[in-house]
Amino acid sequence: MGTGSIILLIVVAVLVLLVFYGIAVYNGLVSGRNQVEAAWGQIDVQLKRRHDLIPNLVEVVKDYMDYEQETLQQVIQARNGAVAAGGQSREAAIGAEGVLGAALGRLFALVENYPDLKANENVQRLMEELATTENRIAFSRQHYNDSVMSMNTRVESFPSNIVANSFGFIRAPYFEVPEAETAPVKVDLR
Amino acid sequence: MAGAPEGRHSNPAPGIRRTDFHAAIRRNERNTVWLCLVMVLIGGAFGYAIGWSAEIVTLDAGRAGPAPLSVMEALTYPSPWGGTGAAIMVIVSALWVMVTLFAGDRILLALAGAREVSAEAEPVLHNVVEEMALASGLPKPRVFVLESPALNAFATGLRPEKSAVAVTRGLLADLKRNELQGVVAHEMSHIANNDILYATAVGVVVGLIALVSDALFRGLRRGAFRSSGRSRSKGGGAAVVLALVVLLVFAILAPLAARLVQMAISREREYLADATAVKFTRDPLGLIGALEKIDGTKQRFQGANRAIQHLFIANPFRKFGARDSALLSTHPPTPARIERLRDLG
Repeated sequence: MGTGSIILLIVVAVLVLLVFYGIAVYNGLVSGRNQVEAAWGQIDVQLKRRHDLIPNLVEVVKDYMDYEQETLQQVIQARNGAVAAGGQSREAAIGAEGVLGAALGRLFALVENYPDLKANENVQRLMEELATTENRIAFSRQHYNDSVMSMNTRVESFPSNIVANSFGFIRAPYFEVPEAETAPVKVDLR
Repeated sequence: MAGAPEGRHSNPAPGIRRTDFHAAIRRNERNTVWLCLVMVLIGGAFGYAIGWSAEIVTLDAGRAGPAPLSVMEALTYPSPWGGTGAAIMVIVSALWVMVTLFAGDRILLALAGAREVSAEAEPVLHNVVEEMALASGLPKPRVFVLESPALNAFATGLRPEKSAVAVTRGLLADLKRNELQGVVAHEMSHIANNDILYATAVGVVVGLIALVSDALFRGLRRGAFRSSGRSRSKGGGAAVVLALVVLLVFAILAPLAARLVQMAISREREYLADATAVKFTRDPLGLIGALEKIDGTKQRFQGANRAIQHLFIANPFRKFGARDSALLSTHPPTPARIERLRDLG
């Protein structure tokens, strides 16, 4: 075997390795993009869950909280606003959810003042449901942002960015926490 | 503690030093890879030693006249039998691991006496598991309760789709919601990090090494009896003695070394699961609180057995008050785990 054919063999081997590497990177990017989309879908599911729960909560709570009608009214309004905004743009939805989160936070704080209410089994169950829903929204948003971060890292860093750019993979946007929601709603029933 | 502080988390909780849990996760993954390589090396070396000894003894017996193999010759001999032995060890391990993985993992839950609970019966536990499933992006595992006042929990499932989390009744009663969340996050980290797979595979290799060593001992003893019967004047050059000594040393040390590495891997995976749990909850204080309560309790979980001890959140057999070195423990001492958790935030 001459020197020429050895060089040719090496070149072919390197090319084959490069192609395999490219395929691996491409598949990684596809699964990254799918993960980002799945995570985005989860947030929607949890927001819907939040909207469905609120009327029940208000129904149970309002008998106990005669003097807090204003807060309850705000929660209802914010909830309806969020439902309406859900059909519009993504930005509008995020803003409306922020308002709702803040209103719920005030309600949670008020419930602390009503020992009877806190002792009610129905209320306890609903509050746990709402607490878990708030957590689920936060965790699915966190998972979404984690997925976006690893996706964006792959899209931007060398050498995977070469594959990403040639197949049109782009940066995904982060789900920024709305201003009103940065003050955490702490619900600890125990 | 390694890992550069990162400015991403603006408000660390009080008592938490700022360190990046991503760095902690990478460090643990690296350590595990090294330990697994060492494990394969131990198995391979053991296989080689067996093949090599057998070949030396055979070669020596085959040599006519008063010219036995010298020690130097034996030591530098590149033994094809040894290579075969090493290959057999590695291949048999791989096959056995695969068989074990296909055999399923139902047994574990039955062993510990776990009972599946519905979302209606245990709403908070189910909610916490669901939350952690969302945080990790894993499918929600099945939820089990162990009717025991002890404080412990474990996870099982070789694949995330078929996983389960079990916690004791005592844990449900004594822990606050965010502490329970920390425990569940730790267990789901074991699922997310494929630790059940790791533990199974490593356990199989350790078992195989122990089995081979056992068989060797038995064989050597029988061989010794037989050769003591006849006169030893004919065979038994220095090389043969060397080969037998090496074999004996390997038969003694290989299972021990494998066991030590297995425990080191298990402890590394515990630290990793703690770091991953914080990645999921972003609340190290929950897991710290839970670990402190678990460490403080006198109750030991009765249903545990040695086959599944590495899957629990805290070692069900050992009590770590102080920093006992515990080379043979599946879990790091709890104070050390809390110390590392305080570095995350």
